[in-house]
Amino acid sequence: MGRFFAGLRDGVGFDILLVTVAMIFLVAMAGLPLIYNVLMSFQQVDMFTLGSFIRPFAGIQNYIDVVRAPEFWLVTRNTVIFVFFSMAGQFVLGFALALFFAQNFPGASTIRGLFLVSWVMPGLVVGAIWSWILAGDFGVLNTILRNLGIIQSTVFWKSDPAFSIWAVVIANIWLGLAFNMLLLSVGLAAIPRDLYEAAELDGANAFQRFWTITLPMMRSTIGAVLSLGLIGTLQQFDLFPAITEGGPANTSTVAQYWSWQMSFQLYDFAKGATISVMMLVLVLFASIIYVRSTRHEVRG
Amino acid sequence: MTRPFIPWLLLAVALALAAVYLFPLYWMYVTSFKSGSEIFANPPTFWPRDIDASIYPDVWTRRTMHVFLWNSTLIAAGVTAITVIFGTGCAYVLARYRNVWVDIGLFSILMLQVLPASVMVTPLFVAFNQFGLLNYPRTAVVLAAAAKAMPFFVVLVRATFMTVPRELEEAALVDGNSRVGAFFSIVLPLARNGILVCAILTFMSSFGEYIYSKSIIQSPALQPASVGLSGFLGPNSTDWNSIMAYSAIYVTPILAVFVLLQRRIVSGLTSGALK
Repeated sequence: MGRFFAGLRDGVGFDILLVTVAMIFLVAMAGLPLIYNVLMSFQQVDMFTLGSFIRPFAGIQNYIDVVRAPEFWLVTRNTVIFVFFSMAGQFVLGFALALFFAQNFPGASTIRGLFLVSWVMPGLVVGAIWSWILAGDFGVLNTILRNLGIIQSTVFWKSDPAFSIWAVVIANIWLGLAFNMLLLSVGLAAIPRDLYEAAELDGANAFQRFWTITLPMMRSTIGAVLSLGLIGTLQQFDLFPAITEGGPANTSTVAQYWSWQMSFQLYDFAKGATISVMMLVLVLFASIIYVRSTRHEVRG
Repeated sequence: MTRPFIPWLLLAVALALAAVYLFPLYWMYVTSFKSGSEIFANPPTFWPRDIDASIYPDVWTRRTMHVFLWNSTLIAAGVTAITVIFGTGCAYVLARYRNVWVDIGLFSILMLQVLPASVMVTPLFVAFNQFGLLNYPRTAVVLAAAAKAMPFFVVLVRATFMTVPRELEEAALVDGNSRVGAFFSIVLPLARNGILVCAILTFMSSFGEYIYSKSIIQSPALQPASVGLSGFLGPNSTDWNSIMAYSAIYVTPILAVFVLLQRRIVSGLTSGALK
């Protein structure tokens, strides 16, 4: 017994103790709920069985019900649009800004740091601000676009079924842009300068240097940024209740919001769990790419 | 060969880009200073005609913001405390060793980092209900949000511990310190700045936490400011100057801390985020 405590104070036991405490907490608060979630997706969960662990087994009935739900394909379409265009917008604009701020000029890093403001703001506040900017009649975005001659008539971003998902995409691009830019800037800074000098001496123009040096050298960074982008957009929730609440008529509902609505507005916890298990498959896929692309850095 | 005006031209472009990007923030503050009729002016005014700050005390009392902000502070403090206490030790060990177990640990932490809160909230709610934790809703939210915040914290703080030279700790051990002593008197003080920055980041992000609080906390007296904001925000809101004033009160402290610590936060993120 004495040796046990001595080990805790002055040996490997100390390390094991530190890790175990954190791991027990994470397993209890994240690991077990995850398994419980999968379990619930195969159970019948209603108000009567909510309090008990033993519930009637439902087989894959929940999955069948979810796929057959009238809004299933609409939500799938919205999720694909939301994920793809958020990621594309964040990545392209983030990359462009990262390339721009990699130039040498006074105040570059300070101004670049200011962009990160969007990242520390509460998602709901970002949603509130964008909800006001995107408002139909009095929103400032419509005024700006009209003055630039891009649109003629008022666009009802939040209440027009054709635009509602795009309203959230625009806000999400703004929200995630800065973080993408920061990560890409780190990758850019790691490329040795002399590669560019050598290429310039050999007569490569800026475009060729970008294609033959920047992109290949940034491959693992780009992989990490894209998979983090996928994970980030699938985690994005706060913008939906703030901007559209999934409406009108589910035209801006995405999987994560649908799952939450099932559980906490319709109290159909089994279906909520089922949708989130389906989403989880997607998230795991993204995180495998992420871990693969950062693996050599993890090993150090 | 150098053209001296180019850096200044780039600076001008950078400032213009920042102005465009930060316009939503500007718009929040400007709207909150406009009168109720001016916000619906067409075309909108880009600078308020008469600056009217009376909405601030009005929103503060009408929306009982002191209750909401106090709850937000409590929840964020709880999340930060749990994350720092449990996460720091874990990050230290993961930085100290290189073997297959550390790889497995890091891998599982990265996996936990990617779980969306919207996925976790359903099982957590049902389980908290079964264990009676829903009677202590703020504690329940703190536990759930801490588990969400910890993986990110561990990954960042681990990068900080990697920069602490092993030799210093070994020297302390040779001099007769125990592992515990060396950890508290050598390693922790050296990594203090990095841990502090990550703790502040954790605090800021849990200060804005929404989904767990919205789903778990039913009583308005216990809800944080994010849920309070969602109470009068929706696709059909019209009360925009109050909403913007509420948002401004809510985020100004966060923005102030961010601007003050910007350099440290950015360098802390860049050293750890991709590793």
